[in-house]
Amino acid sequence: MATKIVRQAQKEGRTALNEVESKELLAKAGIPVVSTRLARTKAEAVALAQELGLPVALKIVSPQILHKTDIGGVALGLASAAQVARAYTQIMAAARERAPGAQVTGVSVQPMAPPGVEVIIGLTKDPQFGPVLMFGLGGVLVEIIKDVSFRIVPLERRDAAQMIREIKGFPLLTGYRGSKPANLKSLEKILLSLSSFAEKNPEIKEIDLNPIFARPDGAVAVDARVILE
Amino acid sequence: MNPNANGLHRAFNPRTVAVVGDKKQTDYMWLRNMKGFRGKLYSVQVDPQELAGIAALGVSNCPSLKDIPEAVDYVLCAVPRAVAPRIVADCIEKKVGGVALFTSGFAETGTEEGARLQGVLTEMARKSGLTLIGPNCMGIYNPSLGLCNGADQPVGAGGPVGFISQSGNHGVTFSLVAARHGLRVSKLVSFGNAVVLDSPDYLEYLAQDANTRAIGMYLEGVKDGRRFLRTLKSVAAQKPVVIWKGGQTEAGARASASHTASLAASHQVWLALVRQGGALAVDSLEEMVDTLKALLFLKPPSGGRVGLVAATGGQSVVMTDAFTKAGLEVPLLTEATYKEFAGFFNIVGGSYKNPLDVSSNFTTVELVRRILTILEADAHVDALGVELSAGFLTRRWQRDPQFAERYLAFLEELKGRSPKPLLVIGTAGHKEEAAVELREKLAERGIPAFPTFERAARALKRALDYHRSRAGL
Repeated sequence: MATKIVRQAQKEGRTALNEVESKELLAKAGIPVVSTRLARTKAEAVALAQELGLPVALKIVSPQILHKTDIGGVALGLASAAQVARAYTQIMAAARERAPGAQVTGVSVQPMAPPGVEVIIGLTKDPQFGPVLMFGLGGVLVEIIKDVSFRIVPLERRDAAQMIREIKGFPLLTGYRGSKPANLKSLEKILLSLSSFAEKNPEIKEIDLNPIFARPDGAVAVDARVILE
Repeated sequence: MNPNANGLHRAFNPRTVAVVGDKKQTDYMWLRNMKGFRGKLYSVQVDPQELAGIAALGVSNCPSLKDIPEAVDYVLCAVPRAVAPRIVADCIEKKVGGVALFTSGFAETGTEEGARLQGVLTEMARKSGLTLIGPNCMGIYNPSLGLCNGADQPVGAGGPVGFISQSGNHGVTFSLVAARHGLRVSKLVSFGNAVVLDSPDYLEYLAQDANTRAIGMYLEGVKDGRRFLRTLKSVAAQKPVVIWKGGQTEAGARASASHTASLAASHQVWLALVRQGGALAVDSLEEMVDTLKALLFLKPPSGGRVGLVAATGGQSVVMTDAFTKAGLEVPLLTEATYKEFAGFFNIVGGSYKNPLDVSSNFTTVELVRRILTILEADAHVDALGVELSAGFLTRRWQRDPQFAERYLAFLEELKGRSPKPLLVIGTAGHKEEAAVELREKLAERGIPAFPTFERAARALKRALDYHRSRAGL
């Protein structure tokens, strides 16, 4: 299952899985992700957009481009086939101009997810303690605010519950100013699934699920990145 | 079962101890440390120039461990590093319980020769199953046997605190400082370079030690992080474990493609580990002592609402700030309490709202007793914080020598009968020595006394959080 994607990347000498591969791998581990497909041409992008349901988001897929937004490689809320086609052209042009020499695999196509509180869940390896999970407020603010908590794999249910409640921004998840509380159980479930996934797959070095949209009806990873050893 | 469990048991509870290589140059520090040892003490030394000094201490000397005419449970080895492998070989042959190597100059020096010698010792001990503590350590302190690893350590009845220290000095200092706070050690070990036994081995040992009711640790790192977490989880489920971590390991400047790796600075991961293991993290010797005092001497608080009694008005204000900042609450009292206070409490130069300022009511012990008894019974109060000002009390003492004694006796009685935790803050003002003496008097009576409002407040909060998390709240 999971190993096919990993083996393919290893065969190609890559340690980074692209967004589409990462999401496929994590979906098989029981982690809810926005269903995402790879388009290699403009026509494929338009067809996939219609198949998945408009509006959609397009994101550049390239082993060399890690910060997709920075080079203009992301287009959100595309509501028609024409908009998808135009966005595809713009993204390709931006990649050629701002990341010349980058090898471009295509674009990822995914339906726009209904927004929620943006959180990050990640995995890293500590030299002393092995795989470590992180939870925090996500999106673009994560690096500035650094409101995060950690636990060492394997996690128990109590650990997952505690690490969510430990961050300063926790009240954002319990409903503030009239917004509905996020579904904490589904966040706990993602943490526990990721913990057992890390235990079973020592070849995984790092994972970022950023952002995850935490909503009243559940949580879903909108972007994902998996790095292999 | 830990293969070293039996060796550790003998080393921690020896009947016969040998000190190898003690010398005049260090004023025979090890033989002097152990002069109160209740079992049989031997010296092993071959240098003819040292023999007279050892004889003068009244200790019998043997030229080799193997010449000691009985089984040896614990060896403290203080020879130069090049000689250490020979002594370890003798320990193996003699089948001693355990050996602590005070000898240093190994991997910690960063030299090739040091690392090589350390490798030799490790290999010898592993192969033979020898319980080797250190090297580069101060070994074991067991006060009930008079077995000391530093000067001036109290001997006699041990206490409830087990202590495990990677640093020799921090271990010895803890035993001395804690004693002045009424906290006595059951058993203590300084374990240095941890080449054979590491902190989880000592944790396991102290977990099963019936005299140890709480464990303190000073650590700088662990060899096997996953084993440490597993052991900590199981031990902290049995008794409280407080961890003071020194040295922020290779700070998180690891270049990486992911957010997670760059955010996971190792000290934060360490703190997560402590929490995940069910232990308490502290940042200093003072916080270690305060936390252990709160866990061992305070009745478990049922909530965070504190009734505060200060000696003066200004102190009552800052005392309230300190407890509130620590995350506790200073609530209004019940109407019934206010009605009672209204009947007798002198509010000219005093106040009973909570915080209470008792300056104008500090006339007789009977009056203080009446006030504290009412406050203790108040349904809005989960814990009591009482300031004793050393300056005040000293002046009062001179006028009425009975006053302080009777006040302390009342506090002891109150602590005994109340289900609510009682903390006394023995503030110094300019009377440092008097405050220390006062706090020691309180400690003797089993009343936890703190030097500042902040330290008392944080300690109470730690105890509250600990008991809440144990209750699954």
